[in-house]
Amino acid sequence: MAFFITSDCTGCTACKSICPTCAISGEKKQQHTVSDTACIDCGACGRICPAGAVTNPFGRIVSKIPKKQWVRPFFNLDLCMACSICVDACPANALDIALQKVRDLHPYPFLVLESQCMGCGFCAEACPVDAVTLEKRAG
Amino acid sequence: MNLPGRSKGFMGSIMVVDLSAQTIETQPVSLKVYRTFLSGMGLAAHVLYHRIPEDADPLGPDNMLGFVSGLLTGTGSLFTGRWMVTGKSPLTGGWGEANCGGHFSPAIKRCGVDGIFFTGMSPKPVYLYVDDTTAQLRDAGSTWGMDTVETETFLSARYPGARVACIGPAGERLSLMAGVSTDQGRMAARSGLGAVMGAKRLKAVVLAGNKRIHVHNKEAMKHISRICNKWVQFQPPFLPGFLTAPVGTLLRIMPWAFTQDGLLYKILLRKWGTVSMNQISVEMGDSPVQNWKGSNRNWGFFKSLSAHPDLFTRKETRKYHCYSCPLGCGGICRTSGRHPRTHKPEYETVLSFGGFVLNRDVDTIFDVNEALNRAGMDTISAGHVVAFAMECFEKKIITLQDTAGMALEWGNPEAISWLVDQMISRQGIGHILADGVAKAAGRMGKKAQRFAFHAGGQELAMHDGRNDPGFALHYSVEPAPGRHTNGAWLYYEMYRLWKKVTDAPKMPLVYAKARKYETGPDKAAMGSANSRFLNVLNGAGVCQFGAFMGIDRIRIFDWLNAATGWHMTPDDYMAAGTRIQTLKQAFNLKHGIAPRDFALKGRPAGHPPMTHGANKGRSIDIDTLMADYWEAFGWDKKTGRPTDHQIAEITDVS
Repeated sequence: MAFFITSDCTGCTACKSICPTCAISGEKKQQHTVSDTACIDCGACGRICPAGAVTNPFGRIVSKIPKKQWVRPFFNLDLCMACSICVDACPANALDIALQKVRDLHPYPFLVLESQCMGCGFCAEACPVDAVTLEKRAG
Repeated sequence: MNLPGRSKGFMGSIMVVDLSAQTIETQPVSLKVYRTFLSGMGLAAHVLYHRIPEDADPLGPDNMLGFVSGLLTGTGSLFTGRWMVTGKSPLTGGWGEANCGGHFSPAIKRCGVDGIFFTGMSPKPVYLYVDDTTAQLRDAGSTWGMDTVETETFLSARYPGARVACIGPAGERLSLMAGVSTDQGRMAARSGLGAVMGAKRLKAVVLAGNKRIHVHNKEAMKHISRICNKWVQFQPPFLPGFLTAPVGTLLRIMPWAFTQDGLLYKILLRKWGTVSMNQISVEMGDSPVQNWKGSNRNWGFFKSLSAHPDLFTRKETRKYHCYSCPLGCGGICRTSGRHPRTHKPEYETVLSFGGFVLNRDVDTIFDVNEALNRAGMDTISAGHVVAFAMECFEKKIITLQDTAGMALEWGNPEAISWLVDQMISRQGIGHILADGVAKAAGRMGKKAQRFAFHAGGQELAMHDGRNDPGFALHYSVEPAPGRHTNGAWLYYEMYRLWKKVTDAPKMPLVYAKARKYETGPDKAAMGSANSRFLNVLNGAGVCQFGAFMGIDRIRIFDWLNAATGWHMTPDDYMAAGTRIQTLKQAFNLKHGIAPRDFALKGRPAGHPPMTHGANKGRSIDIDTLMADYWEAFGWDKKTGRPTDHQIAEITDVS
C-alpha cells in the first residue's frame, strides 16, 4: 500500500523533486509512478501536486496545499526527553539537536530549515510524550 | 496507519552481502523465526549458526559478520537504541558479540531490514552504502588508513543525514582487540569483531534509509513509554562526587546487603554517567586493581580521588543521549590532550586505565580514551594488556631492551600512553601485545601466562567476581565469555524479574552478605534468568541501563506485545531467551569449543585468595556455579552440552 499517481499527472516533476525516498520515477511531461516498496506514506507528493493526481493508500485524492499552509513542528522543551526519536523519524533530515536551555547540558531538537520540512508530521507521530506539535508555518 | 500485511515491530528480512562475489541480496525471514528467537541477537544467532561452517577461520572469508538492530528499535519505545555486531570471534574462536548504543540501530531498520550480514572477503577496501533505492559496495580506498572520527566525518559529509559504523586503524591491522565505532567514538568493542571487519576489507557501513517502522498498537506503545519516562525523570539531588567513595566503603563494611534498586543507579547515571561508580566500585571491592592482585588498599580512598565523578563532568560540554534514550548518561568532554574533545570516558575505561594500572593522572585517561576510540580499539582489553605488560616488566619478563628504554612501571602515565600508541600502530612490543593478553602471553612464554587473565581468550571487565560471584559465573559460562554485561547477582536484583516471571526467585529486601558467596539452586536460577533475560533485551535492542530500573517500571514485555501484536507472556519471552542461549551454546560446540575451558582461572577466581582488601579470603567455587547453571538449562552438568533434542528443536526452525 502506498500513494498512487493517476493519469491526471502532467509530468511536472514537482512530486519527484520533493519525495524524500526517491520513490517516484517518470520523465518530464509524462505520467509518474510511485514505487510501492520505497514509498513511506509521507504524502508530500500529494500536497505539492498542482494537478490533484495523487491518491493516498485509501484511494482518496490528496488536495494540493499551498506551502505556506503546510504544518511544521514546534517543540515543547519542558516535555521533551531529548531522546531524538523525532530527529530519526524525519525523512527530510530537517531536524537536529543542540543545547538550548540555560544550565542544561542535554541537547534538544529543533527545526534546522523550515524550507526543508515537508510537513509530514512523522516527528509528532513518533514522539512518545507528545512534546512535538504541528502548527501552520508563519508567513 | 496500521495496514494489513505489514510486519509489526520487525522489518521481516535481512540483507546478505557477499564481499567476494560483490553481490547484495535481501532475504525474507519467516514469522516463525521472529517468534522463536525474537530479532537482534537472536536473529543473528539463527543466521550465523546455520551459515558459518565449523572450520571457518574467524579472519577468513567463511566467517560472517552481522550488524543487527532490535525488535523494539524505532517502535516508540524507550531505551531501545542498541545495535549489535556478531560473528565468530577471533579472540575466543566461538560466538562473538558486541553491543553498542548511539544512533545506528534505527538506521539499520530504516533500510528495510533487521540485520545486515557480510560474508566473503573483498579484494580491495570497500564500504556498504544503503539508502531507500540503492544498496552498493563502494570503493573505500580514500578512507583506508583514516581513524574512526576522520572516516565518519568524511562519509557524513558525503552523505548528509546518513549513519556510519566503521573501523579504525586497529581493525585494519587486524588487532584482535579491535571493535566497530559509530557516532565518532562509541564502540561495539568486544569479541574482536573489528578485526573480522578489517579482514573482510570492509571499512564502513553507511546507512541512509527512511523506511517506516510499523507497530501493532501505537497508542499502547506511547502509553508504556510515558510510564517509563516518569520513572526516568524522577531525579532528586544527590551527593557531590567526592562523597561517592564513602557509599562504597559503607557497602563494604556492612555485614548485610540490601537488594539493590536500579532507580538509585539511574539517579547516579543521569547525573554523572557510568563514571559515577568509579570510587564506589573500588571501595566496595567491585573493581579489580593492579592486574587483579591489588585491592582498595593499593588504590584506596584518597588515591582513587583522581577518578571521582565530578572530575569528568566538569569537563563535559554537553550530554549525549543514544537514540530513544530519555536518560542521557553519555557526554562530550573537552580535553587538553592531543585531541580537543572526546566522548566522556566510561567507567570501564577509567578503571582499566586508572586503578587497574595504578594510574592517578586523569588527563592520560582522557587522552588514551580518545586515542583508542579513534583507533577503534577496545579500552577494556587494552587496559588489561597494559596491566599485563606492567606486571611482566615488574617480573623482568619484559625488559627495557624490549621497550626501547621506556620503563613500564605501575602508574607511569607516559608508559601507558606510549604502550597504547605502540599497540595501535603494532610497532615494537606493540605488535606482540595488540592481539590481547592470551595471544601475547602465548607469544611470550610460560612465565608470562601466569599474569594473563582472561576467559576463553577475552579480557575480563572491571567487575570483580570475588565481590559478586555472579560476574565470575557469567564471565565463565556465557558463549561470549569475559563480558561484564552478561550478568551478575547485582543485575538480577535490579531487573526485579520476580515481579513478572514465575520461575525467578524473589530477593528479600535485606540479607546476610555471606549469602552472596554461597552456591545452590537459587544461584543457578538467578544466573539462568540473567542470561535468558539478557537475550530478550538483546533481541529487542534494549539498553541494560533502562532494564536496571526494573521490569515492573520499564515494561519491556508489554512493549514487545504492543509492537508485534503477539500475546506472549513474560514466561514465553523468557523461553525465547532460553532458546537463544541454547543456540549460542550449540554454535560454540559446533565450532569445537569446550565450554568448561572458559572457566576463570587464577586471581580473578580467588585462587589464591586475596590477603588484603575488600575481597580478602574469598575464592569462587566456579566449577559448582557453572555445573548448577548448566543443569538449570537442562544441559549436561559436566560438559555444558545441551541435549540433542534441545539442539534439534531450535536448529530445525526456518
